[in-house]
Amino acid sequence: MKRRDFIKNSSLASSLFFVPSFVKAFENISNSSIGYKKLVIIQLSGGNDGLNSIIPFTNDIYYKNRPKISIKKNELIRATDELGFHKNLAPLKNLYDQGYVSIINNVGYPNPNRSHFRSSDIWHTASKSSEFLDTGWLGRYIEKYGKIPHSGIELNDSLSLIMKGQNINGIATSNPRILYANTQTPYFKKVLKHQSDAHLSEHNLGYLYKTMIEARSSAKYIYQTSKTYKSNLEYPNNAFGKQLKTTSEFINSNLDSKVYYISMGGFDTHANQINRQKRLLSTFSKSIETFVLDLKQNNTFKDTLILTFSEFGRRVQQNAAGGTDHGAANNVFLIGENLKKKGFYNKGPNLLRLDKNGDLIYTIDFRDIYATILSKWLQANDSEILNGSFNQLDFI
Amino acid sequence: MTEQHIKHLYWRAGFGIGISEFNSIRNQSNSKIVSNLFTNSKKITPLALDLSEFVSLKNKSPKILKKEMGEANFQKLRQKSQKKVRDLNYAWINKLTDSKELIREKMTLFWANIFVCRDTQIFHIQQFNNTLRKNALGNFRTFVKEIAREASMSKYLNNNQNRKKSPNENFARELMELFTLGIGNYTEQDIKESGRAFTGWGFKNDGAFFLRKKQHDYGVKTFFGKKGNFNGDDIIDIILEQRQCAKFICTKIYKYFVNPIINEKNLEEITNIFYKNYDIKELMTYIFNSKWFYNEENIGVKIKSPIELLVGIRKVVPVTFIKKKQLNYLQKMMGQVLLYPENVSGWKGNKNWIDSNTLMFRMKLASLILNNAVINLEEKGAFEDSFNQYYKNTKKRNTYIVTSKNWTIFNKFYGDLSPDALKKLLLISPIDTDTEKFLNALEVKSNKNFCIQLMSIPEYQLC
Repeated sequence: MKRRDFIKNSSLASSLFFVPSFVKAFENISNSSIGYKKLVIIQLSGGNDGLNSIIPFTNDIYYKNRPKISIKKNELIRATDELGFHKNLAPLKNLYDQGYVSIINNVGYPNPNRSHFRSSDIWHTASKSSEFLDTGWLGRYIEKYGKIPHSGIELNDSLSLIMKGQNINGIATSNPRILYANTQTPYFKKVLKHQSDAHLSEHNLGYLYKTMIEARSSAKYIYQTSKTYKSNLEYPNNAFGKQLKTTSEFINSNLDSKVYYISMGGFDTHANQINRQKRLLSTFSKSIETFVLDLKQNNTFKDTLILTFSEFGRRVQQNAAGGTDHGAANNVFLIGENLKKKGFYNKGPNLLRLDKNGDLIYTIDFRDIYATILSKWLQANDSEILNGSFNQLDFI
Repeated sequence: MTEQHIKHLYWRAGFGIGISEFNSIRNQSNSKIVSNLFTNSKKITPLALDLSEFVSLKNKSPKILKKEMGEANFQKLRQKSQKKVRDLNYAWINKLTDSKELIREKMTLFWANIFVCRDTQIFHIQQFNNTLRKNALGNFRTFVKEIAREASMSKYLNNNQNRKKSPNENFARELMELFTLGIGNYTEQDIKESGRAFTGWGFKNDGAFFLRKKQHDYGVKTFFGKKGNFNGDDIIDIILEQRQCAKFICTKIYKYFVNPIINEKNLEEITNIFYKNYDIKELMTYIFNSKWFYNEENIGVKIKSPIELLVGIRKVVPVTFIKKKQLNYLQKMMGQVLLYPENVSGWKGNKNWIDSNTLMFRMKLASLILNNAVINLEEKGAFEDSFNQYYKNTKKRNTYIVTSKNWTIFNKFYGDLSPDALKKLLLISPIDTDTEKFLNALEVKSNKNFCIQLMSIPEYQLC
């Protein structure tokens, strides 16, 4: 066969496509056994300055440490007697007023690491700060409960550690059409076309074939299912808005994926923080507001929980460049319709007691939040997924 | 030695074998082929970029430079140095492809994933890389001691902040956990005490080691049950007295060079060899001369790292990347950017390279760099990026990897090969029977196209 024929033949109508029985088995896996709740995780990548997002506006220490970059009392939206939202988080404040937001303050872990890479890995794998794991907590959930890659989708073109399991991983796509097309390339398709399920047990070679089959099956499922719903809302015209729009199309087309991961970049504000963070928080909260509206219109908001986090917060004291350096504990936003504890989950940061770097000390371990979500929202065995037992909180 | 055995040896000791080299050694004895591999790697050719524009970074301290150049210009110079690390990455990949010192380069790559390090100061990181190369086949004891003195390592694991009055134990911890013994083979007390032994270990701007005597703790330390005025070298000697250290390194070697699944008997055998002198060359010679290395169960069962995949293709078809940045892109999409490890524990290898996304990409790699295939996937932004930088690639749809391919050379050496010979040369793993049938049914019009096809099936992912 000539190469051209090779390509031509492989783009033959897929109805002629011989589908081996084991591929069908993958495609018919029912997710009903693991419930219909969805989890959307958003990482504010780079380390969002939580202190300038939710401002302790009655605290003198805050103002003393940040003469140039603090948010003035009259420039924020008060929520309680002590805490207020950055004014560009107004859309988030609207959700808060409707009881859709729970803010957990001072979230972190013992012996915090201040490297983006390392701390992000710790959050992704739910490891101790002294331990290196090669699977992510969502990846382990996918492997145990979803059993197919599209149980977890990352809105990107390459997969992050958070979505990686031992033998089954989530799948990444920023555009399901392209993902699908990439499983239809001549070689990929041709090789699979000739596959029967005789050799899948062999270790590494079998693993490669199995991964190919799953990839194709998941890509096809995601593409064909998600194209049945197109959002009619106008999301902010930027890359993050687009990621959320695609996510809403996944959720609203009743894709049986359980967990979604999005990372929004830009939060490493070592310099000129004021203006940069203004834009970031506006982009973030406007997109979130549209996303929530989209889900509500389709009656899927009640089954969706959104969690935002950063790999770390930022130092209490400003630096010389009008920014802040890497810190430790930070606040986390939970957004959903039926939150148990609406508003602020716990007290704001204690600025009198900082660690030796001058960073906030955590009072809630991030793995307590994971454990709570796993057991109460996803009905999963949290201690098994997290390799240990953590506190159950009562936000859901 | 069978032909299959030669290819196996060359995939593990290097990045596969070209047809002309294969033809020139196919009739030699096993021991001759192995000893030639080491003879050819006797020479050490360091990476040496032209760094003349950064020479001030080498001669003066940051403090003085800031004063002389002003803060803004100094930051610019620093960022330039940071960018230059990319050039070192490209130079390294080219070296992996072109070097005659096969086993030395393969081992350098291996050690870079044991002594994991990352730095933005171009002089220091180049020096670090060359220290790996210099010691790659040498004595492990000397190797660890030199690594402990490297400026880049000192910064990466905070040993430059390790002072008598406020010890920083990071280096001491990772030295034992990741470089020599493995977790669980030492106590927290051992970490504390050995941390003290490395206090005051510093470096000069040019990357040379020096001891800041005032910061060094000369007191008595208790380490692995021994008491003494230990310094860092003494600590390393005591670590190497533990047989566990030899076993730890041999486990890594076995998984990387022999089989991701350990055979305990073989592991014992090589641990005994290594524990005697910690002689790396002796260890590798033993492995490549052992019978079990050529057992069928060890051939073609390892999932290639992205770099092995990429370099392996380039060994067969000479490829030059016109847009160097795209070489960075390819590494990123496959999850292994040399000199940019994600954390100190390094890349896990084997199955960890594979998920739906990386596998699709890897199977497309040959078409991308050899056949102008279209690519429409974006690399992820970096933590330090601004919002716009982070997403800057999102609009770039349908691009090509711009390369020049030397098909003339390919045709000269491979043009007349029978399809079966080409297949046997490129694929070392057992071939799936259905895929084999499919390959046999193809009518091969040119070896060029058949080569790309062979490089695009799952079997080519293995070595």
